[in-house]
Amino acid sequence: MGIRLYQEPQLENPILVASWPGIGNIGIIAVDTLRGVLEAEEFGEIEPWDFFYPKRVLIRKGILEYLEFPSSKFYFKRVGGKDIIFFIGEEQPTEGGRMYAEGRKAFHMANLVLDVAEKFKCRRVYTSGAAVALTHHTTKPRVWAVPNSESLIPEIRGYGNTVLMSAIEGRGGHGNITGLNGLLLGVAKKRGFEAICLMGEIPVYLQGLPLSYPKASKSVLEVLSHSLKIEVNLDKLDELDQEVGRRIEEFYQQIPSEIRGQLDRLKHVAYAQPAEPGPITEEEEKRIMEDVEKFFKKRGGGG
Amino acid sequence: MSQGYPITIYKEPDLRRSSLVLGWSEDMGNLGRKVTDYLNWELRGEEFAEIEPEDFFSLGGVAIEGDLAQFPESKFYACQEHELVVFQSGSPGVEWYKFLNSVLDVAEHHCRVKELYVLGAMISFSAHTAPRQLLAVVNSAEMKEVLGQYDLARDMDYQTAPGERPTLNSFLLWIAQGRNIPGVSLWVPIPFYLAAMEDAQAQKKVLSFLDERLDLKIDFSDLDQKIREQNEQLAQVRSRFPQIDDYINRLESNLMLSEEENGELIKKIEDFLREGD
Repeated sequence: MGIRLYQEPQLENPILVASWPGIGNIGIIAVDTLRGVLEAEEFGEIEPWDFFYPKRVLIRKGILEYLEFPSSKFYFKRVGGKDIIFFIGEEQPTEGGRMYAEGRKAFHMANLVLDVAEKFKCRRVYTSGAAVALTHHTTKPRVWAVPNSESLIPEIRGYGNTVLMSAIEGRGGHGNITGLNGLLLGVAKKRGFEAICLMGEIPVYLQGLPLSYPKASKSVLEVLSHSLKIEVNLDKLDELDQEVGRRIEEFYQQIPSEIRGQLDRLKHVAYAQPAEPGPITEEEEKRIMEDVEKFFKKRGGGG
Repeated sequence: MSQGYPITIYKEPDLRRSSLVLGWSEDMGNLGRKVTDYLNWELRGEEFAEIEPEDFFSLGGVAIEGDLAQFPESKFYACQEHELVVFQSGSPGVEWYKFLNSVLDVAEHHCRVKELYVLGAMISFSAHTAPRQLLAVVNSAEMKEVLGQYDLARDMDYQTAPGERPTLNSFLLWIAQGRNIPGVSLWVPIPFYLAAMEDAQAQKKVLSFLDERLDLKIDFSDLDQKIREQNEQLAQVRSRFPQIDDYINRLESNLMLSEEENGELIKKIEDFLREGD
């Protein structure tokens, strides 16, 4: 169980950008879009068999030809005088039917990713995921940023459309990032890497749907490209956003009107300056959550 | 044996060039358990090793089956006279790669296994009166060639459908391929209305192949008797319930039943066979 590098590129103080699938696939779509747009070159992988159950078998004329596992791959690209390593995990190594990675395997995978980062003298890591929020799908998602070191806070304050946990209403700087997108941040801290997790907001009523949420991936990518000081063409992400947006709107129209009315109020949640008809109160927030939960229970688990 | 693998060896078997037959306990038609039980009974298989469960099975309690508390078991039996190793186990829920390698570690290092036979059952929408087929998937062209002289369907094309995952049998075959152990995964289609019960004919089909291939000289008289009894029971259901007879007639004519009809057929057959037990 280990790392396989096909080549050893000459990289100068590279930055690592890593992601695994999660809610709305927000992080992985952002990172994979950036990788694709920059045409980053694959240079290695984490051997999968100890982490994953195979995902595909090919049998031809009675002979087992091929067994395919979820991939965990490394890519690199020099852009604007800066070297970037990408890590993209197709699945999180879960145990015992859990949704997100945790425990020994997750810790081991996080360490393998950072082993590669360390080998190439990387000191800065970005991860990305989703932030479930009381927002509406017609508004622009913010990006919640969580650094693993105090020294990164001034830098984050300079990002546009980005908030620290202390600025999230009612959270008091606390929260939890589940799965490897979060764990990597912690393991990076333990090993002395500076790291930031960028989480795109997804409306609470969309978190259980089997749909990606590229609108939030775009917000993440805007912040990430600003931080990396690179320009990225987001046309493909815009197309995907429009396509998914239509499906979300169809779903939204199926929600009973009394619940939809509650959700519509989320359009008016304003973070800096309250807008008419005013920000929702705590009591209203509670009622919206209860109505949403009831609706999804009726639908049989929300998906 | 690899370091740290949770294998307990009770007694070293005296095997020089053996074959390993592997069956999962919770197979369709109970095929894996029944065939491996039969081999152990007929060939006096002696338990000699097991894989400890804690790394591979959820041990948050016990399952209850047939009024009895169950506990995951993964046991090896040696039929020394016949150079045969039988492995019977529940399907592990986690750490599949480690588990399957543990099986092959015991096979290679303690039994000098030269060939692997993995048992599996699949759903068939044919009637129980149709002859059982045996399908084979191999992990090497040489193995395919060797099996050419037996009554096997050996040219299957298959690709995992979206949303599905490969079977544990394919995973094992692939690992064995990497360790240069020739292997075959044997698949018997079982009529859907016998999938939750037993299918003695399917058992006989697999056992007959193993008997011929491994020269086991099995006396099948008791299994033949069991097949006759099951066929008689099924004939009784047909004569007692014209609707069921009609459904089976249609299956015999290669016609499909509706979902509701399938459900009715399954229930009636299962109820009747359970009463007869």
